[in-house]
Amino acid sequence: MILHGSLAIWIRDMQVLRRAIFSELVAVVAYPLTIYLAFGIGMQGYIGAVEGSPYGLFIAPGLITMTAVNAAYNESVWSLWFHRRVQFTVESYRVTPISVSEIIIAKICTGFTHGIIKGCAVGLVIFAITPFRFPLEHLLSYLVFLIPGSALFSCAGVISGTVMDKPETIGKVEAVLVMPLIFMSGLFFPLSSYPAAVIPWVRALPTTALFEGARRALVSGDMSLMYVLQVSLSALVLFALAVGIFRRKMAE
Amino acid sequence: MPTAAIIARSLTKQYAALTALNSFDLEVAQGSIFGLLGPNGAGKTTLIRILTTLMRQSSGEVFIQGLDTRTAGRQIRSMIGVVSQENSLDRYLTARENLVLHARLHGMDKQLYSRRIDELLELMGLAGRQKDFPDTFSGGMQRRLVVARALVHQPQVLFLDEPTTGLDPQSRRAVWDYVRSLAGSMTIFLTTHYLEEAEQLCDRIAIMDHGRLIALGSTQELKDRLSGTTVYEIEFERNVASYAALLKAMACVRTIDAKDNLLHVTLECWECLSEIVTALNGAPVRRISLKERTLEDVFISLTGAGVRE
Ligand SMILES: Nc1ncnc2c1ncn2[C@@H]1O[C@H](COP(=O)(O)OP(=O)(O)OP(=O)(O)O)[C@@H](O)[C@H]1O
Ligand SMILES: [Mg+2]
Repeated sequence: MILHGSLAIWIRDMQVLRRAIFSELVAVVAYPLTIYLAFGIGMQGYIGAVEGSPYGLFIAPGLITMTAVNAAYNESVWSLWFHRRVQFTVESYRVTPISVSEIIIAKICTGFTHGIIKGCAVGLVIFAITPFRFPLEHLLSYLVFLIPGSALFSCAGVISGTVMDKPETIGKVEAVLVMPLIFMSGLFFPLSSYPAAVIPWVRALPTTALFEGARRALVSGDMSLMYVLQVSLSALVLFALAVGIFRRKMAE
Repeated sequence: MPTAAIIARSLTKQYAALTALNSFDLEVAQGSIFGLLGPNGAGKTTLIRILTTLMRQSSGEVFIQGLDTRTAGRQIRSMIGVVSQENSLDRYLTARENLVLHARLHGMDKQLYSRRIDELLELMGLAGRQKDFPDTFSGGMQRRLVVARALVHQPQVLFLDEPTTGLDPQSRRAVWDYVRSLAGSMTIFLTTHYLEEAEQLCDRIAIMDHGRLIALGSTQELKDRLSGTTVYEIEFERNVASYAALLKAMACVRTIDAKDNLLHVTLECWECLSEIVTALNGAPVRRISLKERTLEDVFISLTGAGVRE
Protein backbone atom coordinates (compact mmCIF):
# COMPACT_ATOMS: atom_id res chain seq x y z
CA MET A 1 0.00 0.00 0.00
CA ILE A 2 1.20 3.50 -0.79
CA LEU A 3 0.98 5.70 2.28
CA HIS A 4 1.60 9.15 0.86
CA GLY A 5 -2.03 10.01 1.60
CA SER A 6 -1.65 9.07 5.27
CA LEU A 7 1.50 11.15 5.46
CA ALA A 8 -0.19 14.20 3.92
CA ILE A 9 -3.10 14.02 6.36
CA TRP A 10 -0.85 13.38 9.36
CA ILE A 11 1.30 16.39 8.42
CA ARG A 12 -1.89 18.48 8.22
CA ASP A 13 -2.89 17.34 11.72
CA MET A 14 0.56 18.14 13.10
CA GLN A 15 0.45 21.58 11.49
CA VAL A 16 -2.84 22.24 13.30
CA LEU A 17 -1.50 20.84 16.58
CA ARG A 18 1.63 22.98 16.37
CA ARG A 19 -0.42 26.14 16.05
CA ALA A 20 -2.29 25.47 19.27
CA ILE A 21 0.36 23.50 21.15
CA PHE A 22 0.67 25.84 24.11
CA SER A 23 -3.02 26.04 25.00
CA GLU A 24 -3.43 22.31 24.31
CA LEU A 25 -0.64 21.46 26.71
CA VAL A 26 -1.87 23.77 29.45
CA ALA A 27 -5.33 22.24 29.20
CA VAL A 28 -4.07 18.70 29.15
CA VAL A 29 -1.62 19.08 32.06
CA ALA A 30 -4.11 20.83 34.33
CA TYR A 31 -6.27 17.77 35.06
CA PRO A 32 -3.67 15.14 36.03
CA LEU A 33 -1.73 17.77 37.90
CA THR A 34 -4.75 18.66 40.00
CA ILE A 35 -5.31 15.00 40.80
CA TYR A 36 -1.67 14.59 41.66
CA LEU A 37 -1.69 17.59 43.99
CA ALA A 38 -4.94 16.49 45.67
CA PHE A 39 -4.17 12.80 46.12
CA GLY A 40 -0.46 12.35 45.69
CA ILE A 41 0.44 15.25 47.98
CA GLY A 42 -2.72 16.24 49.84
CA MET A 43 -3.81 12.71 50.80
CA GLN A 44 -0.36 11.17 50.97
CA GLY A 45 -0.11 11.40 54.73
CA TYR A 46 -3.43 9.63 55.24
CA ILE A 47 -2.81 6.87 52.73
CA GLY A 48 0.79 6.02 53.47
CA ALA A 49 2.63 3.51 51.34
CA VAL A 50 0.93 1.31 48.74
CA GLU A 51 2.76 -1.83 47.69
CA GLY A 52 5.86 -0.39 49.29
CA SER A 53 5.79 2.94 47.42
CA PRO A 54 4.69 6.34 48.71
CA TYR A 55 1.23 7.06 47.31
CA GLY A 56 2.49 9.93 45.16
CA LEU A 57 4.94 7.60 43.47
CA PHE A 58 2.28 4.91 43.14
CA ILE A 59 -0.12 7.07 41.15
CA ALA A 60 2.38 9.14 39.13
CA PRO A 61 2.92 6.58 36.31
CA GLY A 62 -0.82 5.97 36.06
CA LEU A 63 -1.50 9.69 35.71
CA ILE A 64 0.96 9.94 32.87
CA THR A 65 -0.49 6.87 31.18
CA MET A 66 -4.01 8.17 31.72
CA THR A 67 -3.14 11.51 30.12
CA ALA A 68 -1.56 9.82 27.13
CA VAL A 69 -4.37 7.36 26.44
CA ASN A 70 -7.07 9.93 27.12
CA ALA A 71 -5.42 12.38 24.73
CA ALA A 72 -5.09 9.67 22.08
CA TYR A 73 -8.71 8.60 22.49
CA ASN A 74 -10.12 12.11 22.56
CA GLU A 75 -8.17 13.36 19.60
CA SER A 76 -9.21 10.37 17.51
CA VAL A 77 -12.85 10.30 18.43
CA TRP A 78 -13.51 14.03 18.04
CA SER A 79 -11.33 14.53 15.03
CA LEU A 80 -12.99 11.71 13.16
CA TRP A 81 -16.46 12.88 14.09
CA PHE A 82 -15.65 16.49 13.21
CA HIS A 83 -14.04 15.74 9.88
CA ARG A 84 -16.79 13.31 8.93
CA ARG A 85 -19.91 15.05 10.17
CA VAL A 86 -19.14 18.74 10.55
CA GLN A 87 -16.44 19.79 8.15
CA PHE A 88 -16.91 17.04 5.52
CA THR A 89 -13.14 17.03 5.05
CA VAL A 90 -13.21 13.23 4.89
CA GLU A 91 -15.33 13.60 1.74
CA SER A 92 -12.76 15.92 0.23
CA TYR A 93 -9.98 13.40 1.00
CA ARG A 94 -12.03 10.63 -0.55
CA VAL A 95 -12.25 12.21 -3.98
CA THR A 96 -8.45 12.15 -4.28
CA PRO A 97 -6.47 9.10 -5.38
CA ILE A 98 -5.85 7.75 -1.89
CA SER A 99 -7.54 4.78 -0.25
CA VAL A 100 -9.99 4.86 2.62
CA SER A 101 -7.47 2.88 4.69
CA GLU A 102 -4.88 5.61 4.26
CA ILE A 103 -7.29 8.14 5.78
CA ILE A 104 -7.97 6.04 8.84
CA ILE A 105 -4.31 5.13 9.32
CA ALA A 106 -3.48 8.84 9.28
CA LYS A 107 -6.10 9.52 11.94
CA ILE A 108 -4.82 6.67 14.13
CA CYS A 109 -1.28 8.04 13.85
CA THR A 110 -2.47 11.52 14.77
CA GLY A 111 -4.26 10.27 17.90
CA PHE A 112 -1.18 8.28 18.81
CA THR A 113 1.09 11.30 18.40
CA HIS A 114 -1.20 13.44 20.57
CA GLY A 115 -1.06 10.73 23.24
CA ILE A 116 2.70 10.49 23.28
CA ILE A 117 3.31 14.25 23.23
CA LYS A 118 0.78 15.02 25.96
CA GLY A 119 1.81 12.04 28.07
CA CYS A 120 5.43 13.20 27.95
CA ALA A 121 4.43 16.76 28.84
CA VAL A 122 2.61 15.60 31.96
CA GLY A 123 5.52 13.30 32.78
CA LEU A 124 7.95 16.22 32.66
CA VAL A 125 5.77 18.38 34.88
CA ILE A 126 5.27 15.64 37.45
CA PHE A 127 8.98 14.87 37.54
CA ALA A 128 9.72 18.55 37.90
CA ILE A 129 7.58 18.90 41.03
CA THR A 130 8.42 15.59 42.74
CA PRO A 131 11.63 14.25 44.19
CA PHE A 132 11.27 10.89 42.38
CA ARG A 133 14.00 10.11 39.85
CA PHE A 134 14.04 7.07 37.59
CA PRO A 135 16.92 5.35 35.86
CA LEU A 136 16.95 5.51 32.06
CA GLU A 137 16.15 1.78 31.68
CA HIS A 138 12.96 2.28 33.68
CA LEU A 139 11.92 5.15 31.46
CA LEU A 140 12.58 3.13 28.34
CA SER A 141 10.63 0.13 29.62
CA TYR A 142 7.81 2.50 30.49
CA LEU A 143 7.77 3.69 26.88
CA VAL A 144 7.39 0.09 25.76
CA PHE A 145 3.95 0.29 27.41
CA LEU A 146 3.07 3.83 26.57
CA ILE A 147 3.52 3.33 22.83
CA PRO A 148 1.13 0.40 22.26
CA GLY A 149 -1.16 1.87 24.94
CA SER A 150 -1.57 5.13 23.03
CA ALA A 151 -2.04 3.20 19.80
CA LEU A 152 -4.71 1.05 21.46
CA PHE A 153 -6.71 4.07 22.63
CA SER A 154 -6.25 5.92 19.38
CA CYS A 155 -7.75 2.93 17.53
CA ALA A 156 -10.60 2.77 20.04
CA GLY A 157 -11.24 6.49 19.52
CA VAL A 158 -11.25 6.15 15.78
CA ILE A 159 -13.78 3.32 16.01
CA SER A 160 -16.05 5.39 18.27
CA GLY A 161 -15.74 8.41 16.00
CA THR A 162 -16.64 6.26 13.02
CA VAL A 163 -19.71 4.55 14.40
CA MET A 164 -21.15 7.43 16.41
CA ASP A 165 -22.85 10.21 14.52
CA LYS A 166 -23.99 12.32 17.48
CA PRO A 167 -21.73 14.20 19.87
CA GLU A 168 -23.94 13.30 22.85
CA THR A 169 -23.30 9.61 22.23
CA ILE A 170 -19.57 10.22 22.19
CA GLY A 171 -19.79 11.97 25.57
CA LYS A 172 -21.87 9.17 27.05
CA VAL A 173 -19.57 6.40 25.88
CA GLU A 174 -16.64 8.23 27.37
CA ALA A 175 -18.38 8.58 30.74
CA VAL A 176 -19.73 5.02 30.86
CA LEU A 177 -16.95 3.03 29.25
CA VAL A 178 -13.64 4.80 28.80
CA MET A 179 -13.23 6.61 32.12
CA PRO A 180 -14.35 3.61 34.24
CA LEU A 181 -11.99 1.33 32.32
CA ILE A 182 -9.11 3.66 33.07
CA PHE A 183 -10.00 4.26 36.73
CA MET A 184 -10.69 0.62 37.54
CA SER A 185 -7.43 -0.60 36.02
CA GLY A 186 -5.29 0.01 39.07
CA LEU A 187 -4.57 3.67 38.56
CA PHE A 188 -5.40 4.76 42.14
CA PHE A 189 -5.31 1.45 43.99
CA PRO A 190 -3.54 -1.89 43.64
CA LEU A 191 -5.36 -4.79 42.00
CA SER A 192 -5.13 -6.67 45.29
CA SER A 193 -7.93 -4.41 46.57
CA TYR A 194 -10.40 -6.27 44.38
CA PRO A 195 -12.23 -9.36 45.70
CA ALA A 196 -10.27 -12.47 44.73
CA ALA A 197 -13.02 -13.71 42.41
CA VAL A 198 -12.94 -10.53 40.34
CA ILE A 199 -9.18 -10.25 39.91
CA PRO A 200 -8.81 -12.65 36.93
CA TRP A 201 -11.47 -10.68 35.05
CA VAL A 202 -9.82 -7.38 35.77
CA ARG A 203 -6.48 -8.82 34.71
CA ALA A 204 -7.92 -9.90 31.40
CA LEU A 205 -8.57 -6.26 30.44
CA PRO A 206 -5.91 -4.72 28.23
CA THR A 207 -6.22 -1.50 30.25
CA THR A 208 -5.13 -3.36 33.38
CA ALA A 209 -2.14 -4.79 31.58
CA LEU A 210 -1.32 -1.30 30.43
CA PHE A 211 -1.64 0.55 33.76
CA GLU A 212 -0.19 -2.23 35.94
CA GLY A 213 2.59 -3.06 33.50
CA ALA A 214 3.52 0.57 32.93
CA ARG A 215 3.70 1.35 36.64
CA ARG A 216 5.86 -1.65 37.41
CA ALA A 217 8.14 -0.82 34.53
CA LEU A 218 8.61 2.75 35.69
CA VAL A 219 8.75 2.27 39.46
CA SER A 220 10.73 -0.95 39.77
CA GLY A 221 11.96 -1.54 36.24
CA ASP A 222 10.37 -4.98 35.97
CA MET A 223 9.10 -5.70 32.49
CA SER A 224 6.22 -8.12 32.27
CA LEU A 225 6.37 -9.53 28.76
CA MET A 226 2.88 -10.93 29.24
CA TYR A 227 1.49 -7.45 29.83
CA VAL A 228 3.37 -5.95 26.88
CA LEU A 229 2.02 -8.67 24.60
CA GLN A 230 -1.49 -8.22 25.94
CA VAL A 231 -1.48 -4.49 25.22
CA SER A 232 0.22 -4.83 21.84
CA LEU A 233 -2.05 -7.60 20.62
CA SER A 234 -5.15 -5.69 21.68
CA ALA A 235 -3.83 -2.67 19.82
CA LEU A 236 -3.30 -4.77 16.70
CA VAL A 237 -6.78 -6.25 16.91
CA LEU A 238 -8.35 -2.82 17.37
CA PHE A 239 -6.27 -1.47 14.50
CA ALA A 240 -7.62 -4.12 12.14
CA LEU A 241 -11.13 -3.49 13.47
CA ALA A 242 -10.79 0.28 13.05
CA VAL A 243 -9.70 -0.04 9.44
CA GLY A 244 -12.46 -2.55 8.71
CA ILE A 245 -15.21 -0.56 10.41
CA PHE A 246 -14.20 2.69 8.74
CA ARG A 247 -14.12 1.04 5.32
CA ARG A 248 -17.57 -0.40 5.90
CA LYS A 249 -18.93 2.94 7.04
CA MET A 250 -17.50 4.70 4.00
CA ALA A 251 -18.98 2.13 1.64
CA GLU A 252 -22.49 2.90 2.88
CA MET B 1 -13.69 8.41 -32.06
CA PRO B 2 -12.67 9.09 -28.45
CA THR B 3 -14.90 7.54 -25.81
CA ALA B 4 -17.34 9.81 -24.02
CA ALA B 5 -16.00 11.36 -20.81
CA ILE B 6 -18.88 10.00 -18.75
CA ILE B 7 -21.03 7.00 -19.59
CA ALA B 8 -23.74 5.68 -17.28
CA ARG B 9 -25.79 2.64 -18.23
CA SER B 10 -29.02 1.65 -16.48
CA LEU B 11 -27.67 3.08 -13.26
CA THR B 12 -29.80 2.32 -10.22
CA LYS B 13 -29.29 3.29 -6.59
CA GLN B 14 -31.50 2.01 -3.84
CA TYR B 15 -31.51 3.52 -0.32
CA ALA B 16 -33.46 0.88 1.61
CA ALA B 17 -36.99 1.33 0.26
CA LEU B 18 -36.24 4.51 -1.70
CA THR B 19 -35.07 4.32 -5.30
CA ALA B 20 -32.91 7.42 -5.64
CA LEU B 21 -31.74 6.55 -9.16
CA ASN B 22 -33.81 4.48 -11.51
CA SER B 23 -32.11 2.90 -14.57
CA PHE B 24 -30.41 6.14 -15.45
CA ASP B 25 -28.62 6.38 -18.82
CA LEU B 26 -26.26 9.19 -19.65
CA GLU B 27 -23.43 10.09 -21.96
CA VAL B 28 -21.32 13.24 -21.72
CA ALA B 29 -19.02 14.12 -24.61
CA GLN B 30 -15.36 15.01 -24.11
CA GLY B 31 -14.80 18.70 -23.53
CA SER B 32 -18.45 19.63 -23.19
CA ILE B 33 -20.29 21.37 -20.39
CA PHE B 34 -23.18 19.26 -19.22
CA GLY B 35 -25.90 20.54 -16.91
CA LEU B 36 -28.13 18.40 -14.73
CA LEU B 37 -31.35 20.00 -13.53
CA GLY B 38 -33.89 18.62 -11.12
CA PRO B 39 -35.98 19.63 -8.11
CA ASN B 40 -34.83 18.98 -4.54
CA GLY B 41 -34.44 15.27 -3.90
CA ALA B 42 -34.41 14.37 -7.59
CA GLY B 43 -31.21 12.38 -7.13
CA LYS B 44 -28.59 14.78 -8.53
CA THR B 45 -26.16 14.49 -5.64
CA THR B 46 -26.64 10.74 -5.53
CA LEU B 47 -25.67 10.56 -9.20
CA ILE B 48 -22.57 12.72 -8.67
CA ARG B 49 -21.52 10.64 -5.68
CA ILE B 50 -21.64 7.51 -7.79
CA LEU B 51 -19.85 9.14 -10.73
CA THR B 52 -17.06 10.34 -8.42
CA THR B 53 -16.63 6.86 -6.81
CA LEU B 54 -17.81 8.06 -3.38
CA MET B 55 -20.68 5.64 -3.47
CA ARG B 56 -21.42 2.28 -5.08
CA GLN B 57 -24.38 1.87 -7.38
CA SER B 58 -26.92 -0.87 -6.63
CA SER B 59 -26.78 -1.95 -10.27
CA GLY B 60 -25.78 -0.68 -13.69
CA GLU B 61 -22.38 0.61 -14.73
CA VAL B 62 -20.43 3.85 -14.98
CA PHE B 63 -17.34 4.66 -17.02
CA ILE B 64 -15.32 7.82 -16.49
CA GLN B 65 -12.81 8.39 -19.31
CA GLY B 66 -13.48 4.77 -20.24
CA LEU B 67 -12.64 3.41 -16.76
CA ASP B 68 -15.11 1.44 -14.65
CA THR B 69 -15.86 3.15 -11.30
CA ARG B 70 -16.12 -0.19 -9.56
CA THR B 71 -12.62 -1.36 -10.42
CA ALA B 72 -10.53 1.72 -11.25
CA GLY B 73 -11.58 4.11 -8.47
CA ARG B 74 -8.11 5.37 -7.61
CA GLN B 75 -7.18 5.99 -11.24
CA ILE B 76 -10.47 7.77 -11.87
CA ARG B 77 -10.03 9.97 -8.79
CA SER B 78 -6.62 11.08 -10.03
CA MET B 79 -8.33 12.47 -13.16
CA ILE B 80 -11.38 14.16 -11.69
CA GLY B 81 -11.99 17.33 -9.71
CA VAL B 82 -15.00 17.54 -7.41
CA VAL B 83 -16.83 20.50 -5.92
CA SER B 84 -19.33 18.99 -3.51
CA GLN B 85 -22.65 20.47 -2.51
CA GLU B 86 -21.51 21.10 1.06
CA ASN B 87 -18.59 23.36 1.77
CA SER B 88 -15.83 20.89 2.67
CA LEU B 89 -13.02 23.36 3.29
CA ASP B 90 -10.73 22.75 6.25
CA ARG B 91 -11.26 25.72 8.54
CA TYR B 92 -8.15 24.96 10.56
CA LEU B 93 -5.98 25.47 7.50
CA THR B 94 -5.38 28.71 5.62
CA ALA B 95 -6.65 29.06 2.07
CA ARG B 96 -3.27 28.19 0.66
CA GLU B 97 -2.74 25.26 3.03
CA ASN B 98 -6.09 23.86 1.91
CA LEU B 99 -4.81 23.77 -1.65
CA VAL B 100 -1.41 22.38 -0.64
CA LEU B 101 -2.99 19.50 1.27
CA HIS B 102 -5.09 18.65 -1.75
CA ALA B 103 -2.02 18.72 -4.01
CA ARG B 104 -0.16 16.41 -1.63
CA LEU B 105 -3.08 13.99 -1.57
CA HIS B 106 -2.73 13.91 -5.34
CA GLY B 107 0.94 13.08 -4.92
CA MET B 108 2.10 16.25 -6.65
CA ASP B 109 5.65 17.56 -6.31
CA LYS B 110 6.24 20.75 -4.42
CA GLN B 111 7.73 22.71 -7.36
CA LEU B 112 4.79 21.74 -9.49
CA TYR B 113 2.04 22.53 -7.01
CA SER B 114 3.51 25.77 -5.65
CA ARG B 115 3.37 27.39 -9.07
CA ARG B 116 -0.02 25.98 -9.90
CA ILE B 117 -1.46 27.20 -6.59
CA ASP B 118 -0.05 30.70 -7.15
CA GLU B 119 -1.76 30.79 -10.54
CA LEU B 120 -5.09 29.55 -9.23
CA LEU B 121 -5.16 31.93 -6.27
CA GLU B 122 -4.41 34.80 -8.60
CA LEU B 123 -7.07 33.70 -11.06
CA MET B 124 -9.74 33.32 -8.36
CA GLY B 125 -8.91 36.69 -6.85
CA LEU B 126 -7.78 35.11 -3.58
CA ALA B 127 -4.05 35.75 -3.73
CA GLY B 128 -4.27 38.58 -1.20
CA ARG B 129 -6.14 36.40 1.29
CA GLN B 130 -4.18 33.18 0.92
CA LYS B 131 -2.86 33.28 4.48
CA ASP B 132 -6.33 33.72 5.98
CA PHE B 133 -8.63 31.00 7.25
CA PRO B 134 -11.68 30.18 5.14
CA ASP B 135 -14.20 31.01 7.86
CA THR B 136 -13.18 34.65 7.53
CA PHE B 137 -14.19 34.51 3.84
CA SER B 138 -17.50 35.47 2.29
CA GLY B 139 -19.64 32.70 0.81
CA GLY B 140 -18.49 33.61 -2.69
CA MET B 141 -14.81 33.53 -1.76
CA GLN B 142 -15.22 30.16 -0.05
CA ARG B 143 -16.91 28.74 -3.11
CA ARG B 144 -14.15 30.06 -5.35
CA LEU B 145 -11.59 28.46 -3.07
CA VAL B 146 -13.38 25.10 -3.31
CA VAL B 147 -13.38 25.40 -7.10
CA ALA B 148 -9.66 26.26 -7.03
CA ARG B 149 -9.02 23.22 -4.86
CA ALA B 150 -10.76 20.97 -7.36
CA LEU B 151 -8.51 22.31 -10.11
CA VAL B 152 -5.09 22.07 -8.44
CA HIS B 153 -4.23 18.75 -10.10
CA GLN B 154 -5.57 19.79 -13.53
CA PRO B 155 -8.39 17.27 -13.77
CA GLN B 156 -9.79 15.98 -17.05
CA VAL B 157 -13.35 15.90 -15.75
CA LEU B 158 -14.73 18.45 -13.30
CA PHE B 159 -17.87 17.76 -11.25
CA LEU B 160 -19.68 20.71 -9.70
CA ASP B 161 -22.65 20.04 -7.42
CA GLU B 162 -24.61 23.31 -7.24
CA PRO B 163 -21.52 25.49 -7.58
CA THR B 164 -23.34 28.80 -7.22
CA THR B 165 -26.08 28.11 -4.69
CA GLY B 166 -26.16 30.92 -2.14
CA LEU B 167 -24.01 33.32 -4.15
CA ASP B 168 -24.94 36.86 -5.11
CA PRO B 169 -25.32 37.65 -8.83
CA GLN B 170 -21.80 39.08 -9.09
CA SER B 171 -20.10 36.07 -7.54
CA ARG B 172 -22.30 33.77 -9.57
CA ARG B 173 -21.22 35.49 -12.76
CA ALA B 174 -17.58 35.27 -11.70
CA VAL B 175 -17.94 31.50 -11.29
CA TRP B 176 -19.71 31.26 -14.65
CA ASP B 177 -16.96 33.22 -16.37
CA TYR B 178 -14.39 30.94 -14.92
CA VAL B 179 -16.27 27.76 -15.85
CA ARG B 180 -16.72 29.09 -19.35
CA SER B 181 -13.00 29.82 -19.62
CA LEU B 182 -12.31 26.17 -18.80
CA ALA B 183 -14.64 24.93 -21.52
CA GLY B 184 -12.92 22.74 -24.05
CA SER B 185 -9.89 22.05 -21.86
CA MET B 186 -11.86 19.65 -19.69
CA THR B 187 -15.27 18.04 -19.46
CA ILE B 188 -17.56 19.75 -16.97
CA PHE B 189 -20.54 18.17 -15.30
CA LEU B 190 -22.62 20.47 -13.12
CA THR B 191 -25.91 20.34 -11.27
CA THR B 192 -27.95 23.42 -10.59
CA HIS B 193 -31.34 24.77 -9.61
CA TYR B 194 -30.80 27.91 -11.66
CA LEU B 195 -32.22 27.52 -15.11
CA GLU B 196 -30.46 30.62 -16.29
CA GLU B 197 -27.19 29.07 -15.23
CA ALA B 198 -27.81 25.93 -17.25
CA GLU B 199 -28.92 28.01 -20.20
CA GLN B 200 -25.88 30.30 -20.05
CA LEU B 201 -23.26 27.64 -19.52
CA CYS B 202 -24.25 24.26 -20.77
CA ASP B 203 -24.00 22.67 -24.20
CA ARG B 204 -26.39 19.98 -23.15
CA ILE B 205 -28.93 19.79 -20.38
CA ALA B 206 -30.59 16.86 -18.70
CA ILE B 207 -33.67 17.20 -16.55
CA MET B 208 -34.27 14.52 -13.96
CA ASP B 209 -36.91 13.82 -11.36
CA HIS B 210 -37.59 10.96 -8.97
CA GLY B 211 -34.34 9.33 -10.02
CA ARG B 212 -35.27 9.20 -13.68
CA LEU B 213 -33.98 11.08 -16.68
CA ILE B 214 -36.97 12.85 -18.19
CA ALA B 215 -35.48 15.10 -20.84
CA LEU B 216 -32.14 15.57 -22.54
CA GLY B 217 -30.91 17.97 -25.21
CA SER B 218 -29.60 21.47 -25.89
CA THR B 219 -31.53 24.38 -24.40
CA GLN B 220 -33.13 25.03 -27.76
CA GLU B 221 -34.11 21.38 -28.27
CA LEU B 222 -35.73 21.29 -24.87
CA LYS B 223 -37.71 24.46 -25.55
CA ASP B 224 -38.80 23.20 -28.95
CA ARG B 225 -39.88 19.95 -27.44
CA LEU B 226 -42.21 21.69 -25.06
CA SER B 227 -44.10 23.49 -27.78
CA GLY B 228 -44.25 22.34 -31.33
CA THR B 229 -46.56 25.36 -31.49
CA THR B 230 -45.77 29.00 -30.88
CA VAL B 231 -47.67 31.36 -28.62
CA TYR B 232 -48.31 34.99 -29.49
CA GLU B 233 -49.39 37.67 -27.14
CA ILE B 234 -51.72 40.34 -28.56
CA GLU B 235 -52.56 43.43 -26.56
CA PHE B 236 -55.74 45.42 -27.42
CA GLU B 237 -56.85 48.89 -26.50
CA ARG B 238 -60.48 47.70 -25.98
CA ASN B 239 -63.07 45.12 -27.14
CA VAL B 240 -60.90 42.16 -26.29
CA ALA B 241 -63.87 39.79 -26.01
CA SER B 242 -65.21 40.43 -29.51
CA TYR B 243 -61.79 39.94 -31.13
CA ALA B 244 -61.28 36.80 -29.09
CA ALA B 245 -64.52 35.42 -30.57
CA LEU B 246 -63.42 36.44 -34.06
CA LEU B 247 -60.04 34.70 -33.78
CA LYS B 248 -61.46 31.64 -32.11
CA ALA B 249 -63.54 30.95 -35.21
CA MET B 250 -60.45 30.82 -37.43
CA ALA B 251 -59.14 27.39 -38.52
CA CYS B 252 -55.46 28.09 -37.92
CA VAL B 253 -55.93 29.11 -34.26
CA ARG B 254 -55.45 26.17 -31.93
CA THR B 255 -56.19 27.73 -28.52
CA ILE B 256 -57.02 31.14 -27.26
CA ASP B 257 -56.86 32.59 -23.82
CA ALA B 258 -58.12 36.05 -22.79
CA LYS B 259 -56.96 38.03 -19.80
CA ASP B 260 -57.65 41.72 -19.25
CA ASN B 261 -56.51 43.40 -22.46
CA LEU B 262 -54.33 40.46 -23.46
CA LEU B 263 -54.95 37.50 -25.74
CA HIS B 264 -52.64 34.48 -25.75
CA VAL B 265 -53.04 32.79 -29.10
CA THR B 266 -51.53 29.43 -30.03
CA LEU B 267 -51.23 28.88 -33.76
CA GLU B 268 -51.10 25.63 -35.73
CA CYS B 269 -47.97 26.91 -37.44
CA TRP B 270 -46.08 30.20 -37.71
CA GLU B 271 -47.25 30.67 -41.30
CA CYS B 272 -50.77 31.37 -39.97
CA LEU B 273 -49.57 34.61 -38.45
CA SER B 274 -50.26 36.65 -41.63
CA GLU B 275 -53.87 35.43 -41.68
CA ILE B 276 -54.31 36.68 -38.13
CA VAL B 277 -52.78 40.02 -38.96
CA THR B 278 -55.16 40.36 -41.92
CA ALA B 279 -58.16 39.46 -39.79
CA LEU B 280 -57.19 42.09 -37.25
CA ASN B 281 -56.96 44.83 -39.86
CA GLY B 282 -58.34 48.05 -38.33
CA ALA B 283 -58.54 46.60 -34.81
CA PRO B 284 -57.16 48.66 -31.87
CA VAL B 285 -54.03 46.49 -31.53
CA ARG B 286 -51.31 47.92 -29.37
CA ARG B 287 -48.73 45.16 -29.64
CA ILE B 288 -48.23 41.68 -31.06
CA SER B 289 -45.32 39.73 -29.64
CA LEU B 290 -43.97 36.23 -29.71
CA LYS B 291 -44.10 34.73 -26.24
CA GLU B 292 -40.73 33.00 -25.80
CA ARG B 293 -40.76 29.75 -23.88
CA THR B 294 -38.24 29.82 -21.08
CA LEU B 295 -36.32 26.89 -19.79
CA GLU B 296 -38.29 27.40 -16.62
CA ASP B 297 -41.52 26.67 -18.51
CA VAL B 298 -39.94 23.45 -19.76
CA PHE B 299 -38.77 22.56 -16.29
CA ILE B 300 -42.12 23.22 -14.60
CA SER B 301 -44.06 21.46 -17.32
CA LEU B 302 -41.88 18.37 -16.93
CA THR B 303 -41.50 18.24 -13.17
CA GLY B 304 -44.78 19.80 -12.03
CA ALA B 305 -45.39 22.93 -10.00
CA GLY B 306 -45.73 21.33 -6.55
CA VAL B 307 -43.06 21.90 -3.88
CA ARG B 308 -41.07 18.84 -2.86
CA GLU B 309 -41.25 17.74 0.74
N1 LIG C 1 -27.71 8.49 2.57
C1 LIG C 1 -29.01 8.47 2.24
N2 LIG C 1 -29.85 7.56 2.81
C2 LIG C 1 -31.15 7.51 2.46
N3 LIG C 1 -31.73 8.31 1.56
C3 LIG C 1 -30.95 9.23 0.96
C4 LIG C 1 -29.57 9.36 1.26
N4 LIG C 1 -29.05 10.35 0.51
C5 LIG C 1 -30.08 10.83 -0.24
N5 LIG C 1 -31.22 10.16 0.03
C6 LIG C 1 -32.52 10.38 -0.62
O1 LIG C 1 -32.35 10.19 -2.01
C7 LIG C 1 -33.11 11.14 -2.74
C8 LIG C 1 -32.20 11.90 -3.68
O2 LIG C 1 -31.34 12.72 -2.92
P1 LIG C 1 -30.23 13.64 -3.56
O3 LIG C 1 -29.45 14.24 -2.44
O4 LIG C 1 -29.49 12.86 -4.57
O5 LIG C 1 -31.11 14.76 -4.26
P2 LIG C 1 -30.67 16.11 -4.99
O6 LIG C 1 -31.26 16.05 -6.33
O7 LIG C 1 -29.21 16.30 -4.87
O8 LIG C 1 -31.43 17.20 -4.13
P3 LIG C 1 -31.01 18.72 -3.76
O9 LIG C 1 -31.36 19.53 -4.95
O10 LIG C 1 -31.87 19.05 -2.61
O11 LIG C 1 -29.55 18.71 -3.44
C9 LIG C 1 -33.80 12.02 -1.71
O12 LIG C 1 -35.13 11.56 -1.56
C10 LIG C 1 -33.03 11.79 -0.44
O13 LIG C 1 -33.86 11.90 0.68
MG1 LIG D 1 -27.97 17.70 -4.08
